[in-house]
Amino acid sequence: MRPTLAMRGLCKSYATPVLDGIDLDLLPGEVHALVGENGAGKSTLSRILAGLTPPDSGTLELEGEPYSPSNKRAAEQAGIHLVMQELNLIRTLSVAENIFLDHLPHRAGWIRYPQLHRDAAEVLARIGLPHLDPQTPVEQLGVGQQQMVEIASRLWRPCRVLILDEPTAALTDPEVASLFHQIRQLQSQGVAILYISHRLEEIRQIANRISVLRDGHLVATRLATELPIDDVVRLMVGRELGTANFTAGRTRGPIALAVRNLHAGDRVQNISFDAFRGEILGVSGLMGSGRTETVRAIFGADPIESGQIFLHGNTQPATIRSPRDAVRLGIALLTEDRKGQGLFLSLAVRENLTVNTLPSFASAVGWISRIRETASVRGWLQKLQVRCDSPEQGIAQLSGGNQQKVVVARWLLRDCDILLFDEPTRGVDVGARFEIYQLLADLAAQGKCIVVVSSDLTELMMISDRIAVLSNGRLTAEFTRHAWTQDKIMAAALSGYLSPTTTP
Amino acid sequence: MNRPAPHPVPSRSLPPASRWPREHLGTLLALAALVLVFSLATRHFFSPANFRTIANQIPSALLVATGMTYILLLGQIDLSVGSVLALSGAVVGVALSQGHWPLPAAALAGLAAGALCGAFNGLVTLRWRLPTFIVTLGTLEMARGGAHALTHSQTLYLGSAIESLADANVLGFSLPFLIAITVVLAAQLLLTRTVFGRHVIAIGTNPEAARLAGINTRPVQLAVFVSTGCLVALAALIDCSRFQAANPNAGIGLELQAIAAAVIGGTSLMGGRGSVVGTFIGVLIIAVLNSGLAAVGAKEELKRLITGAVIIAAVIADLYRHRRP
Amino acid sequence: MNRYPSLALLTCLALSFFTACGPSQPEATTPPSPPNSPTRPRIALVMKSLANEFFLTMENGAKAHQKTNASPYDLLANGIKDELDVTRQIDMVEQMIAQRVDAIVLAPADSKALVASCKKAQDAGIVVVNIDNKLDAAVLAEKKTQIPFVGPNNRIGARKVGDFLASKLQPGDPVAVIEGAPNAFNGQQRRQGFVDAFDAAKLRIVSSQSGYWETDKANQVAAAVLSEHPEIKAFACANDSMALGAVAALRAAGKAGQVLVVGFDNISAAHSMIQEGRMLATADQHADQIAVFGIEYALQLLATRAAPADRETPVDLITPTP
Ligand SMILES: Nc1ncnc2c1ncn2[C@@H]1O[C@H](COP(=O)(O)OP(=O)(O)OP(=O)(O)O)[C@@H](O)[C@H]1O
Ligand SMILES: [Mg+2]
Repeated sequence: MRPTLAMRGLCKSYATPVLDGIDLDLLPGEVHALVGENGAGKSTLSRILAGLTPPDSGTLELEGEPYSPSNKRAAEQAGIHLVMQELNLIRTLSVAENIFLDHLPHRAGWIRYPQLHRDAAEVLARIGLPHLDPQTPVEQLGVGQQQMVEIASRLWRPCRVLILDEPTAALTDPEVASLFHQIRQLQSQGVAILYISHRLEEIRQIANRISVLRDGHLVATRLATELPIDDVVRLMVGRELGTANFTAGRTRGPIALAVRNLHAGDRVQNISFDAFRGEILGVSGLMGSGRTETVRAIFGADPIESGQIFLHGNTQPATIRSPRDAVRLGIALLTEDRKGQGLFLSLAVRENLTVNTLPSFASAVGWISRIRETASVRGWLQKLQVRCDSPEQGIAQLSGGNQQKVVVARWLLRDCDILLFDEPTRGVDVGARFEIYQLLADLAAQGKCIVVVSSDLTELMMISDRIAVLSNGRLTAEFTRHAWTQDKIMAAALSGYLSPTTTP
Repeated sequence: MNRPAPHPVPSRSLPPASRWPREHLGTLLALAALVLVFSLATRHFFSPANFRTIANQIPSALLVATGMTYILLLGQIDLSVGSVLALSGAVVGVALSQGHWPLPAAALAGLAAGALCGAFNGLVTLRWRLPTFIVTLGTLEMARGGAHALTHSQTLYLGSAIESLADANVLGFSLPFLIAITVVLAAQLLLTRTVFGRHVIAIGTNPEAARLAGINTRPVQLAVFVSTGCLVALAALIDCSRFQAANPNAGIGLELQAIAAAVIGGTSLMGGRGSVVGTFIGVLIIAVLNSGLAAVGAKEELKRLITGAVIIAAVIADLYRHRRP
Repeated sequence: MNRYPSLALLTCLALSFFTACGPSQPEATTPPSPPNSPTRPRIALVMKSLANEFFLTMENGAKAHQKTNASPYDLLANGIKDELDVTRQIDMVEQMIAQRVDAIVLAPADSKALVASCKKAQDAGIVVVNIDNKLDAAVLAEKKTQIPFVGPNNRIGARKVGDFLASKLQPGDPVAVIEGAPNAFNGQQRRQGFVDAFDAAKLRIVSSQSGYWETDKANQVAAAVLSEHPEIKAFACANDSMALGAVAALRAAGKAGQVLVVGFDNISAAHSMIQEGRMLATADQHADQIAVFGIEYALQLLATRAAPADRETPVDLITPTP
């Protein structure tokens, strides 16, 4: 079969070589998974294909014709579309406007809104968001929904090659299912799909072939049926990961965080739960179920309407009016929106890592010791295996997963007692993911209280001692390790939508 | 889990302190080129006396531009500096000429006026989350009105009550120049070496991320506004002393001059990027350009044409240096 | 602002917001009388920047006159915020026409741009008197209009100052002129007056540049001229604010007292400087009288409907009182 897109000897170097002689064929109607560690060069490859970055050398062929896109538009005209790893929506525009941004239906320049909204609603329904109003401003959506809108904005276009760079990093199972449904449809129309993900479970479900990228080389391209997950991991990281137990060796300590009758907006309705020192509490739920809003409210990032928060068994409720108060009281929040709410994109890795721990490197008058700061940064970069040239490298140049590690390190450096982690492994590769799990387990063993919000149920079941499930802004169930099953958790996650009057 | 580190973090980066000469190479070259051109075109431009003259002219512009740099770093803008300069000068002038206050007391009153204006800008901006553009535009009008009300629209003659300040000198450099240089150095170190400076940069880069990192953003921002007000007042004091007069029309258009100097020096209008040293170079470029063109005796229209072109060229040159590979 | 044309534009944009929203109704200084009351003529005084001491003095003179004058009249006094804001002044004249005042006494911000509005006022039957800054003769001729001018002869005034300065110097001595804004007629006249005097005394003008009426700008120009022409003997400045800047430049260069400085306008700061010997001389145009003369002339024209003719007001040389 003639490949839809053929890559021959692609090379790309920044400070160091990132891609080194990549030969890869994308066949019509196949889902080709591309896996590799953070910084292996997956996004770089997809940016080359989509015309966002020129390769240093090497050639591309699209259906036998030479293909060298000079920019994104040229690539799209040739039928190659890319859903990027980072969100690139215009926050002040509506969902519909974002989906059709470069093809707004108009008559003599006047936008035809009825048609725009009709078309957008249709696209949204197709990818499983029939209830999302196309007129909603994007800034009101959570990261998961934004991700879906981002995908939707590519899916309606006629295309020959679709590249999805970690599309599911912030999605929960139902959305993943409807995305896969769409992918299968495109597949049946003969579209070649390059699918990049760190969720190997999904790759087994959807991929026909798997390619593994390591240190700029393509180390393997095999049929998915011939390559078990363990082998994928071994090829990716160059060693066995083994099966670790992330819950062993810790005992539950005294209560650290008690939330009572918390109300904040529509998405946080009467939420009460306890979290203890020496345990990891997982928080599960569907997209938009109020998981992020709950942790943000506890952290003082959004105003609380009513309810109380008790810390460390105190009988007096804590006053948390701003993130500043929360941090003072030893609470940390890792935000789910890395680019918008976590990173200082134009600053260096070092500055990003130490932004809220500066006084610990500074004298009484605020004079920072660069030597101590840099030493500490190097230590953490080492510990989390962050791939970067130096602590002075701009964080924008790091791969997505490596950026995530830097923001995780920021809070580990701060040494808080209560850690609220919202999607801590978003975009992180399996190896580093296990590294972070181990870190969380170690922190819990040291007696910290850890709350992890995650869309990845497998992940939560692997690391949590208990899992609380939110549904439609309410806490619908709480399971301990021995009582949960995937089905029970999913049922609890859906229950809030089926009978809105039920309270736990 | 104890895997060997496959990607150790290399330690070949330069120590950050040595970055600035390279950082400002473009603007320094532009400055050198201007000096060269004017030295060739005129008889006396390249002389210690002329450089001293320029050095003694820039202190007030330098102080204001330093404050403006911090404001821009925060991602804000302050249009009121020119009017605040006139108001502070008017306070000093009235205190000296009508109140017959001693100089230190009058100077303190002037500083207080500047600080109050800064605090007003900051508090209104932060309390109601208004764009500083509009808040400081309002202050621009109010402070100018205040300056005229205080002086009854007259230039107040201060005479020898204040000239001691501008005339004091060390090694041929006036006291104001030395003060301004000290302020520039201190502000640069504050920016790059202290917790406060780092917080300013973080807030300017991504205010939401800074807030969620637990930084108390309001006091930092307020401090920047108030300090800027104080620097402007200091500049007013220097101007009063230099001209021996308090002029309610002083500083018209100063805000644009200060913004231009900062931007030429590599400060971004979007916040988060910039340096005080760069601004210093920017102020020098403008001062050299003004002085050189006047020494040449260029025609008015040509002066303006060249000044505008140099500003744009300097910013473009800077842009190229920062463009990603 | 004048140093950055492009940036100036931005401010103008920003400021026009304010001027546009500013109070557009002129304040009457006396209780409103019935419109077109035959007994009390309404006279509009349209001036340049009231932020300028000179025009403020002028306005105060007019107000004092209005209170004490034998035959009563209503005075509508208005100024623009910025001396260079010609558009705003044109708007103001048109507003006065719309208000159907009986006479307009105008100190134009631009000697050409205001002619059309004046013609319009005359066509509407309004008496127009030009004060302070004379409207351009060529443009007036082209519009086939005659507008009487009441005011000082800036050229003769500057000549007096220049002659006094020349009397302290030797033929061949180098001198510099610091001009006003290039588009202002009175600035051009003053420069011409200085040049007349220097030519007559055979002084050498080594530099003549604009200081845009501002202290700071003039200071920069003077400092640069001092560096480039260290032998310079005197600065002739087209107004006193700029003279202050020149004096500061001399002080910074350590040449205070060695180089002579003259100005124009006799603002109070300059007056003090002259007494202290830091400045040599200035000219007094009797600002408080200029508008008064204009108003009296307008009243006279209203009463008699006589043919308009120009009238000169005095300019006096101010030197240190011994
Ligand atoms: N503009 C740039 N300048 C310098 N280095 C860069 C730049 N862009 C990417 N890199 C480097 O190239 C390498 C590959 O980055 P890339 O984003 O392709 O990784 P990735 O495989 O997509 O990783 P992830 O799984 O974390 O998304 C990284 O080490 C990154 O630091
Ligand atoms: Mg990537």
